[in-house]
Amino acid sequence: MYKYLLCWRYLRTRYIALASIISVTLGVATMIVVNSVMAGFSEQMRDRLHGVLSDITIDSHRSEGFRNPDEVMALVRESVGDRVEAMAAAIETPGMATIHFNGENYTRPVQIMGIEPEERAKTGDFAQYLVDEKERRMPPSFHVGRDLKMKAPAARFLDPNEKDPFQDVINNDVNFQVPDFGAITGWSVASVHRPDVNKDIFIAPRGAKIILSFVTAAREPKPASDSFAVVAFSKTGMSEYDSTHVYVPLKRLQQLRGMGDGEGRGAVNQIQLKVRKGEDLSKMALTLGEALTRKWPLVFEVRTWEQKQGPLLAAVAVEQSILNILLFFIIAVAGFGILAIFSMIVVEKTRDIGVLKALGASTSGVRGIFLGYGLSLGIVGSGVGMLGGLLFVWNINAIEKWLSKVTGRKVFDDAIYYFPEIPTKVEWFTVAWIVGGALTIAVLASIWPAHRASKLHPVRALRFE
Amino acid sequence: MSVHLSAIGLEKSYRKGKIQVPVLRGVDLEVEHGELVAIVGASGSGKSTLLHVLGLLDGPDAGSVQLSGERIDNLSEHRRDVLRNRTFGFIFQFYHLLPELSALENVMAPLMIRHGVRAYLAQRKMIRKEATALLERVGLGHRLTHRPAELSGGEMQRAAIARALAGSPEFLLADEPTGNLDAATGQSVLELLRDLNRERGLTMMLVTHDAHIAAQTDRTVRLAEGRIEEWATVLA
Ligand SMILES: Nc1ncnc2c1ncn2[C@@H]1O[C@H](COP(=O)(O)OP(=O)(O)O)[C@@H](O)[C@H]1O
Ligand SMILES: [Mg+2]
Repeated sequence: MYKYLLCWRYLRTRYIALASIISVTLGVATMIVVNSVMAGFSEQMRDRLHGVLSDITIDSHRSEGFRNPDEVMALVRESVGDRVEAMAAAIETPGMATIHFNGENYTRPVQIMGIEPEERAKTGDFAQYLVDEKERRMPPSFHVGRDLKMKAPAARFLDPNEKDPFQDVINNDVNFQVPDFGAITGWSVASVHRPDVNKDIFIAPRGAKIILSFVTAAREPKPASDSFAVVAFSKTGMSEYDSTHVYVPLKRLQQLRGMGDGEGRGAVNQIQLKVRKGEDLSKMALTLGEALTRKWPLVFEVRTWEQKQGPLLAAVAVEQSILNILLFFIIAVAGFGILAIFSMIVVEKTRDIGVLKALGASTSGVRGIFLGYGLSLGIVGSGVGMLGGLLFVWNINAIEKWLSKVTGRKVFDDAIYYFPEIPTKVEWFTVAWIVGGALTIAVLASIWPAHRASKLHPVRALRFE
Repeated sequence: MSVHLSAIGLEKSYRKGKIQVPVLRGVDLEVEHGELVAIVGASGSGKSTLLHVLGLLDGPDAGSVQLSGERIDNLSEHRRDVLRNRTFGFIFQFYHLLPELSALENVMAPLMIRHGVRAYLAQRKMIRKEATALLERVGLGHRLTHRPAELSGGEMQRAAIARALAGSPEFLLADEPTGNLDAATGQSVLELLRDLNRERGLTMMLVTHDAHIAAQTDRTVRLAEGRIEEWATVLA
């Protein structure tokens, strides 16, 4: 019993020991904050990656793609049945986007996606990211409406009432300035970020013409290009996508690349699959890959969204674990602090230890006092750290706002990160690990001093000055 | 009267650098039940050492200690812990109260050491009552919650005596209990010990420098040259 009483008293009277655990507290708090923010970021990132990529993608790396998407889809249905909820064929091809702005041409490398927007919307979050310049939601459609046509400089000469003999000529001009085929471009393909005013300036607003250049799918590829009218922007928050993706109508792209007739069957080089919730994606991808290879060897590659983005996800995971290792060193350092201060306290308490032994305390009892003391310090240190860390995480956006106000500069620039707020996610498993690790270190650090205390010879301890 | 505690040929030496310094060179001593024995001797003659060996805080190099005829110095560590806790009560010159605990908690300490958490909690009321009664007995009923630092020397020694009595030991070992007190306070502490010796039939050995104190005990022995010589006759 005396062990607990003495532990408790030492805890309340030895503030120097409390000082030694401040580093435990700080270490635990920092680890919780960092892990929560990183988990929040990576969760958001995975969400977006996943939303853009769909669950499973079947790619063909041949430039002419494959002409039988219906047969491929039928085989998919045959091998995994209704576990696939939706499928959409697409063409993905690298290219170049040219935008005319302020009398200059701006050219950007892009990834051109020929899609059927309605179908695409069923296989992922494609539709959820579509917005106009003011970030109002837009429908998944390439339709170039009358309102966009009217944005053409020539449109002001159109007179709806009068029957103008030049109407046809003007209409030609309008159709040249705002082409009939629509394109959905990544937010940053169409805009330039101006850090000085913290604004995205659109060089290709809705209705603007964007010229896409690419190569045809022929045996000997030839350059080809066509103009599209920007109808909407895709803002996923993943800069990699927003600065490269341009979506155009599948049939049009097939026609331009010589992959189809523009009407009926055409070739594609990608099929996106949406899978029923709870399915094991990598297992399904494996099954599909085997089935497809059996029928058409060496044509397809089947990958889950995670496999497609493997290096990026792995990089984030590595970053997080390195950070964790570094931060854990802080707590390990704190452990040596506890060790040092504990050894001091044992020396200071030498006489009391002798007295306790004279009163009949056993060796293990004395050891228990100091082990218990170390454990209590660890509990206090990591408990306060956990509380502080969690409070920080839960109020991180208020803290960010306050810091921004005090320092006069944006601590978290939502223009850079695309997130309106700092995303956080508290993983209780991780928190438990951090707190458990800190406790273990505190106890480990007190083992040696406790052992020394318990081994003190009572007479020598009593005679200690 | 029967022999309560006996030392038979106790030898103990300390190593100082390379040479062995003998402190006890064959101490033979018998203390009867209920006896109050004083040990006198020059400083450094080994009085504390003898007390520590008798109270199982230290082991002899040779010889043995017997409690009511049973050898106790060679018992297991655990059995010796139990004997220190239940049979012996220690009183020190510098009181040695635990500074973090109140007077009452200090007195309860031996009982807290004796009992585990569950047993302690079950008997908490009784233990408190016993400790309070002991503090009242030594005249500190009004100082229960005081920390040692808030007590005077005499009060601290009384609290230490109450602590030594907690758990009803049979044998008190007091190492210069009055050595750090002024004459009047020392006298009152001695009277307290004498009263307890009579009231409870406690056997006591007390080390002292003070011939006046020694004179008030049943018997005085002298430790010199590492051996005991009866001194009662000398005084008489
Ligand atoms: N741990 C020790 N190491 C070496 N010598 C010691 C130790 N403890 C006591 N001594 C020596 O033993 C002798 C007896 O000490 P002690 O029993 O305290 O005498 P007393 O109590 O009679 O003054 C002294 O000379 C002292 O220096
Ligand atoms: Mg002494």
